[in-house]
Amino acid sequence: MEFDWTEDDARHREQLRDFLAEELPADWETISQHGPGGDAQAAFSRHFCGRMAERGWLTQHWPEEYGGQDASPWRHAVVGEEMWAIGEPRGAQYMNVNWIGPAIMTYGTEAQKAEHLPRISSGDVLWCQGFSEPEAGSDLAALRTQALRVEDDYVINGSKIWTSYCNHADFIILLVRTDPNSRRHRGISVLLVPMDTPGIEVREIPSVVGERYFHEVFFTDVRVPMSTRLGPENEGWEVVGHALQFERVGAARYARAAVTLDRLAEIAQERGLLDDPIVVDRLGEARALCEAARVLTYKVIDLRAKGSPPTADTQLARVLGTRADNAIGVLALEIVGPEALEYGSFADSNFRLAMTAGVAVGATEVQLNLIASRFLGLPRE
Amino acid sequence: MDFDLNQEQSAVLEAVETLLDKHAGAARAVELAAESDYDAGLDDALEQAGYGDIASAMGRLEAVLIIEAVAKRGGVVSAGARLLAAPALSLDAPPGPVALMRTGHSGPVRYAAHARTLLMLDDECARCIELEPGACPAVPSNFGYPMGRVSDEIAAGGRALAPGSGPRLQDAWRLGLAAETVGCMEGALEQTAGYLKERKQFGRAIASFQAVQHRLAECAIQLEASRWLTREAAHGAGSSEAIATAAAFALDAAGHVFAETHQLSGAIGFTREHDLHVWSMRLHALRQELGGVAGHRRAVVDQRWGAGSSQGSGEGGR
Ligand SMILES: Cc1cc2nc3c(=O)[nH]c(=O)nc-3n(C[C@H](O)[C@H](O)[C@H](O)COP(=O)(O)OP(=O)(O)OC[C@H]3O[C@@H](n4cnc5c(N)ncnc54)[C@H](O)[C@@H]3O)c2cc1C
Repeated sequence: MEFDWTEDDARHREQLRDFLAEELPADWETISQHGPGGDAQAAFSRHFCGRMAERGWLTQHWPEEYGGQDASPWRHAVVGEEMWAIGEPRGAQYMNVNWIGPAIMTYGTEAQKAEHLPRISSGDVLWCQGFSEPEAGSDLAALRTQALRVEDDYVINGSKIWTSYCNHADFIILLVRTDPNSRRHRGISVLLVPMDTPGIEVREIPSVVGERYFHEVFFTDVRVPMSTRLGPENEGWEVVGHALQFERVGAARYARAAVTLDRLAEIAQERGLLDDPIVVDRLGEARALCEAARVLTYKVIDLRAKGSPPTADTQLARVLGTRADNAIGVLALEIVGPEALEYGSFADSNFRLAMTAGVAVGATEVQLNLIASRFLGLPRE
Repeated sequence: MDFDLNQEQSAVLEAVETLLDKHAGAARAVELAAESDYDAGLDDALEQAGYGDIASAMGRLEAVLIIEAVAKRGGVVSAGARLLAAPALSLDAPPGPVALMRTGHSGPVRYAAHARTLLMLDDECARCIELEPGACPAVPSNFGYPMGRVSDEIAAGGRALAPGSGPRLQDAWRLGLAAETVGCMEGALEQTAGYLKERKQFGRAIASFQAVQHRLAECAIQLEASRWLTREAAHGAGSSEAIATAAAFALDAAGHVFAETHQLSGAIGFTREHDLHVWSMRLHALRQELGGVAGHRRAVVDQRWGAGSSQGSGEGGR
């Protein structure tokens, strides 16, 4: 058992901090106030990820043959923590480097690799994720969007919902039913679809989360070549399962929460609130929660670094990360007070980011179901 | 980073488990509790195997692993004090239980009735007080540990140790508390989950109800996070802040796990014939030390953000 960072990883963290200090513009807080999907942040991400790529840092955890440096999952975690802590200047591109690129490496044809991987690793392409549907939320296997074969093409009809980042996206990674007679997990495939394909219509769903968080994406006779399919036909469930196996802890929410909390403690101190035992108690509780989420996430990274199959540790970490994020989001409102009510203020921005944590990327209750069966071995209902 | 036990750690734990198979377990804890007794046999066995020195021989992390294991098996020995607190003060404590107390504490003290050594936490310096057998009268308690009462006179005595010994004792004590809490929570949760898989109502195992599953899953999350925070804090130069953080989380979790394991066990969980109490009741005893959850949280805030207001905080933390 060993809980220290290697010197190299610790040094890399410092390098990243210096880099961020140089690269982030003075108005970064304004740029990032709408979240990674906002117009300004999406545009900035192309510039920023380009700069990351120039340093060789954007995809350093990728294998060398795809332009990476085979850096360890720990190194990748350092990058994730530093980026997320400051508001994720990679914008939606964190998904590209975390799992979309690796999924293409694992399941893609040579042509798909040649088309997509260089663009992802140069930091100039935006992707969105088209999984959820109106009738398929937690129960994703109920999805109905169809892609039927017509000659050498698929013709897609249906709709996706909650799709983040998609108004700026160049591509959508899409889950569709390719076998119209299939049920549940069978008969699903993954398609890599350019967003400018005729027949795709995007409608923003206004929300209290922030600008451009949610969209509906409608597919009407959208015709794409079969070569857009990632992995075997009708085995898409396994493809995304594999691609996403560690992604439930892909966003280092605890790192963001910890930075927010440090700032809250500063505010509390300035206002003399550290003499208030209730404030002290809340701060101590919140800090312990952040740290708990961090250490459980590290447990998952340890498994990943050792090439072990994923376990329910992922769900443990995920639920606690959500709790930390939520708790600190609310604490920010309480400590900052009425100033928090202004849109885009420090506490407001954090609160909006935090409040969806228990639903996005798989709701907490579903994670708890998995912990019950896989971690505790409790009998099914 | 590496979350797996290394070879030496596995070997130590295996040996400790063998020893615990022989000397500890819920039945033994129940037997001792009936007499408010201390497990001198287990204490001897641990001592003879050399685990008293494990913190200096191997490290605090290894001591924490042993304390966890002992607590999980319901061992009635002052493992936290012997394996962490005494070594942190470089004390050659005489064999037998060691009790820990903070200046100004009022109320029963774990192990005081049996202890030969009492370590007193003042501010900057700790004190070491030697106890004659029978010096501290036993106090009946329902909270799973043999307890004793320390008179004001005894509490005022002993010899002061070097400056800096106070904070060292506080860290070691806190770390031991967290580790022991982890072991007790694990015992309570395993007992409860096992029972609920067997116990049928409405024609099915209670553990198959989702409302129950989610509550057990929440307990598991709290337990695992407590475990890893504590182990991480014990490792290498783990700071006072890390230790306070682990304790703040674990002792808070302890309250949650107590409430949930008892609620989910139904009436049988309150009986002496059902073993849950062996672990659960101790959780609340552990929550009484070093200012409890509020005290640990305050320590986190002081260490991290330098509030600088905790040093004098009495028991109860605020
Ligand atoms: C900010 C945000 C961004 C998102 N971005 C995307 C995106 O880019 N692409 C995409 O495809 N999707 C996206 N989603 C959708 C997300 O994946 C779903 O919201 C999520 O899977 C839950 O589905 P749902 O919202 O339909 O909730 P429902 O499935 O309707 O669930 C509602 C409630 O019921 C509970 N529940 C459901 N089933 C069970 C059960 N079996 N047992 C107990 N409780 C249950 C849930 O836990 C939840 O609390 C995003 C969501 C959010 C909030």
